[in-house]
Amino acid sequence: MSWKAYDRNQPVMDPQAPPVLTEAVREKIRSFFPRYETKRAVLLPALHIVQELLGYVSYQAMKEIADLLEIHASDVLDVVSFYTHFANHPKGRKTVMVCRSLSCELMGGKAVLEAVKNTLQIQEHGTSTDGQYFLVTEECLAECDHAPCLKINERTYHQVKATDVSRILADEKNAELSIARSSLFDPPGH
Amino acid sequence: MVLQAALEAGMDIPHYCYHPSLSVVASCRLCLMEMKVPDPKSGELVWMPKLVPSCQTPVKEGMEVRFNSPAVQQNQQQCMEYFLLNHPLDCPVCDQAGECYLQDYSYRFGQPTSRMVEEKLKNPKKDVGPRTLLYQDRCVMCSRCVRFTDEIAGTHELTVVNRGNRAEIDVFPGLPLNNPLQGNVVDLCPVGSLLDKDFLFKQRVWLLRETKSICPGCSTGCAIRIDHNEGVIYRLKPRFSPKVNDYWMCDEGRFGWKYLQDGDRLTRPVVRRGGEVFYPRWEDIPEIINYRLRKLAEQQTPTAVVLSPMLACEEAWLIASYVRALLPQAVLVASWLPVQGAEQNFPVGSPAEKARFTIRPEKCPNRRGVELLINKLGGASSTLEDLIKQVKEKKIKAAWITGGYSQRDWVSKELAAAAKELELLVMQDLYANALTDNSHVLLPSCCWAEREGSFVNQAGLIQPFERAVDGPEGTRRDGQYLYEIAGYSGLYRAEKVRERMAEQLAEFRDIYVAPDPPEHQH
Repeated sequence: MSWKAYDRNQPVMDPQAPPVLTEAVREKIRSFFPRYETKRAVLLPALHIVQELLGYVSYQAMKEIADLLEIHASDVLDVVSFYTHFANHPKGRKTVMVCRSLSCELMGGKAVLEAVKNTLQIQEHGTSTDGQYFLVTEECLAECDHAPCLKINERTYHQVKATDVSRILADEKNAELSIARSSLFDPPGH
Repeated sequence: MVLQAALEAGMDIPHYCYHPSLSVVASCRLCLMEMKVPDPKSGELVWMPKLVPSCQTPVKEGMEVRFNSPAVQQNQQQCMEYFLLNHPLDCPVCDQAGECYLQDYSYRFGQPTSRMVEEKLKNPKKDVGPRTLLYQDRCVMCSRCVRFTDEIAGTHELTVVNRGNRAEIDVFPGLPLNNPLQGNVVDLCPVGSLLDKDFLFKQRVWLLRETKSICPGCSTGCAIRIDHNEGVIYRLKPRFSPKVNDYWMCDEGRFGWKYLQDGDRLTRPVVRRGGEVFYPRWEDIPEIINYRLRKLAEQQTPTAVVLSPMLACEEAWLIASYVRALLPQAVLVASWLPVQGAEQNFPVGSPAEKARFTIRPEKCPNRRGVELLINKLGGASSTLEDLIKQVKEKKIKAAWITGGYSQRDWVSKELAAAAKELELLVMQDLYANALTDNSHVLLPSCCWAEREGSFVNQAGLIQPFERAVDGPEGTRRDGQYLYEIAGYSGLYRAEKVRERMAEQLAEFRDIYVAPDPPEHQH
């Protein structure tokens, strides 16, 4: 054919590759089965567990989840690609979310974003060279009264100044929450 | 639903995502209407300020709706503007052009120029399966194809990836769209997004002529449409037939007709007499056959007529009643039955009684028709195996055998060996084989698209089909020469023959013709 077409007939993963989900992870996913009427309903918990384990949901992992839940792999791809929370490509261990909505923008959010970019030397949707950080912008972090704000994984930073950014990012424990996190979706051994 | 009722009443309500055989998602928003609802204060019916999707609203007693109000028309225009935002406007190279509902609705509701000044989103073309291409640019995200693979095929290959204005139809890489019903997603696509690789760039659709036919691929007998131009068939499409195939057909039928354009078909009648070969004119064939058969009758030669399940009922009746008139003791035999594989029910894995589509293992269209005729005409009948034995024991000395199979190797060794013992073999077939090479009179057949008649499907429905194209040069329609052999003159019309059959056989009075779906439904 004379034009370019993406070939979807060829698998993107190695069929001989060993499974990425260990038996312990599978067992953790299976433990959600009794909660719902169908196995399909366990898809979101399963994706959370796998994303926590690998940092992203690979095609190989999608296929294995599909086999585990007895659904078609395309249904897993559908959900993974729908939610921006799930990534289907490798990314940094910590996700830095900077708000780009109105309140934060007015209060200097743009400068904060620039500071993050300069400090980590990455662009939006980029991963820092040490593999630690992944940068995205979000529409609203629902903290308008404390604008501008940014979030590292599940921890939110309020009234961030551009000058604070390098200090926050340099902190090893910047993603740790002050209260204990629910371990419901933690993969075993974490 | 209001939309279905409106379509059935002949109204042309624009719609993309609604399909009568699929679940309702109300995602395209083109069919929105105004509806009257009770006012919460006074209780009287007033027009609701918000528009409601007519595809999702059930019809109720005393309901008042309208499609011709400015609000509804404005919505249609706005929807069309959205659908065309990123459309590449490549109609001149698009296969769907001419039967595209983006074109039709754009013509009706669209604006002559685009107000979009930003760069259009360019989406990749995707090779989603062995038979199908996906042009994501042209897609309107109606998700009919996704629902088809989920609900009818049950194979779930297609899915929606990403979200919002970046949503795309895709498959999981490495698990392509590859099920026995995949051709239907191309029919379902209201725009030129899903394309059939087989038909790609072959013909502009407005040049095609449509002929109503019945698929000969298996005993289901799906109602189909043959699209052809200047005597060449380009594609087959399913027709709506609520009792048989709903809106679908299988790939085996859709792409399995190519054999008839192979070019090595038998094209002229042959007479072999004592080692000599003659090529008579078609005009002389009735006399030759008549002479030979009268001779058999004089000598009281035991004769068999082998009726193929590829024959139309009318043709089988013409042969059987003609031979029986001359040789009342002639044995009627149902010919070889092509059986392949097992019954396939869809959605995949569903039991037969819940199946929404079935591909049957019997790969011929008219077994029941031929058996019905043999039973109703009465007299001696036999099976093919017994016939071979009887020929070897010299109990049968002459035979008229019909073929017409797409399988070229249908003649078994036993049958070929037995045929050599016959005093007279009249043979009708599409391709040369051991029987045609040893026949005394060879009559080349035409295939189903080149004939007219009726098939009886596995459920016993008698379904007429029409002629789409002419056979290869030199051939004549089986019905026509059988008609002449049987002593009639003039043009063979299957309908007239069927009327004559029905005088004898009451079963052929009720034929089943699928009703046309509403004109504007698609």
